[in-house]
Amino acid sequence: MQSRHLRDGRILLAPLTIFLLAMLGLPLVVDLIYSVSRVEFRTILSPEFVGLANYVSALTSESYWQAAWFSLRFGLACAVAQLLLGLFLAIFLAPLIDKRPWLLAFLMLPMMVAPALVGLMYRLILHEFVGVVPWFMFTYFGDSPSFLGPDNAFRTLVVVEVLQWTPFALLILYSAYAAIPKDVREAASIDGAGPWQRLWRIDLPLMAPVLGATFFIRFIDSFRVFDNVYTLTGAGAGGATTTMSIWVYEAFFKSGDIGRAVAASMLLLVAAWAVLAIVHRLSERRA
Amino acid sequence: MNLLRWLVFAVAALAMNFPVLSTLVTSFKSEAEIASNPSLWIQSPTLANYLDVFRISDRFDILHYLWNSFASSILGAGLSLLLAFPAAYALVRFGTGRKWLLPLVANLRAIPLIVFAIPLYLVYARVGLLDTRLGLALILCIVNLPLVLVLLVAALRDLPVELDEAARVDGASTLTLLWRIILPLAGPALATTMVLGFVYAWNEFLFALMLTTRNAVTTTVGASFFFAASGGGVRWGIAAAVMVLSVLPPMVLGLLLYRRIGQSLASGAVKG
Repeated sequence: MQSRHLRDGRILLAPLTIFLLAMLGLPLVVDLIYSVSRVEFRTILSPEFVGLANYVSALTSESYWQAAWFSLRFGLACAVAQLLLGLFLAIFLAPLIDKRPWLLAFLMLPMMVAPALVGLMYRLILHEFVGVVPWFMFTYFGDSPSFLGPDNAFRTLVVVEVLQWTPFALLILYSAYAAIPKDVREAASIDGAGPWQRLWRIDLPLMAPVLGATFFIRFIDSFRVFDNVYTLTGAGAGGATTTMSIWVYEAFFKSGDIGRAVAASMLLLVAAWAVLAIVHRLSERRA
Repeated sequence: MNLLRWLVFAVAALAMNFPVLSTLVTSFKSEAEIASNPSLWIQSPTLANYLDVFRISDRFDILHYLWNSFASSILGAGLSLLLAFPAAYALVRFGTGRKWLLPLVANLRAIPLIVFAIPLYLVYARVGLLDTRLGLALILCIVNLPLVLVLLVAALRDLPVELDEAARVDGASTLTLLWRIILPLAGPALATTMVLGFVYAWNEFLFALMLTTRNAVTTTVGASFFFAASGGGVRWGIAAAVMVLSVLPPMVLGLLLYRRIGQSLASGAVKG
């Protein structure tokens, strides 16, 4: 029986495993080979070994570090803002949502929209002649900042990202908040704890693991962002809004330097893996 | 206090849905009004933009983009379910691959997709999958797998093991059991997962941008064509109408199934 289970298990896993090997394993091998080769579109089948030159080239490029710094700042700023805003909304609106769950539908809706399209929509909304936001600013304040200029682009993009993805944090945190048993809170009230004390001593500690997970997910998603930044600013604003993902994309398509682009993406993979390992270690220590 | 809560809700819902609302308003304005009146108030509503979208289909064929999105998303989401369902069963009941496969796939969610995009582009170019709906669907399947597998594992874990045992006693093979007993029981979970996978696939942009140029262009990429000013600048009304059409399918699904989607997203995110 046991051996039959083992055999059946392997058969059931086989399709997925083969698919993963073909779609992820093979690309990874290509990544590894090309990252240590000089290769162009014409010489795609005869890469020439150059050791770590591509890695050095990426790591000594100023624009690479600019992109890394941008993605890191962007990821942290967005994750913090989404977590705080999502937490506030989840707890403050909980009494309303408990009674009328359909309210959640409207708060979840932004997540259903493609980020690439959201970027395009803001191109319309922030346009200095036809956009509603600059029109509003001109009409009521007499002046409007250049939202996508080099000085403001970072802040604008953070707002765009936060407005779209706070619902994600809100949704997770609301379910965590709603899952806290009523009697725990009642017991605390009976012992004389006020609303703030209940929040700090009961709700937040009980929600801590979920808060951590939410922060991590939002950081990763904002860190690896491509779609909305690309469609809203391109690599515009004087290259000031180039994220890591956009840097690799442009290294590949615009400059055709395949080796360098691939080496940079391998570095990205290592970075992502390192973050995962740290998070894993942290959550294990807690458990 | 409750009034304040309603106020906060209204402001949050409006601010977060603002891009879609504003685009919707713009799509009902004439080109002339868009230039003279950028406010959220429509002076003379018109459907002209929606008609014009189809009138310029010889250059930008929106129906073709929508069809590409639909076909590749259905295929991509369906394939991910097809691969993940038996795997999820093996993971839950036999424990095969629980040590390596589940963490590997679940962690895939945290890997920047661009890492796989370049080699896949090069491989696709050699095997003729570039700019095909099938090629795109295979990638959309990968994009969906982390969430799909985690959700299906969670769903199957909730099914009572006694059913399996009873079927075993009756002499059912694993495949029969999976097909006759587990599949119907897991039906609702599979349906929700399929919808979520479809929405994710529909909204994907990076791979569609890299791997399609003409025949398999999806609506997220196609919509950006309308913003590429070619002589006379962007026609904002048409662009707005295109975006409304493009966001409609996932938003309708989201509104109809918000409760199930919300539960799945919340549980999938935390477990993943």
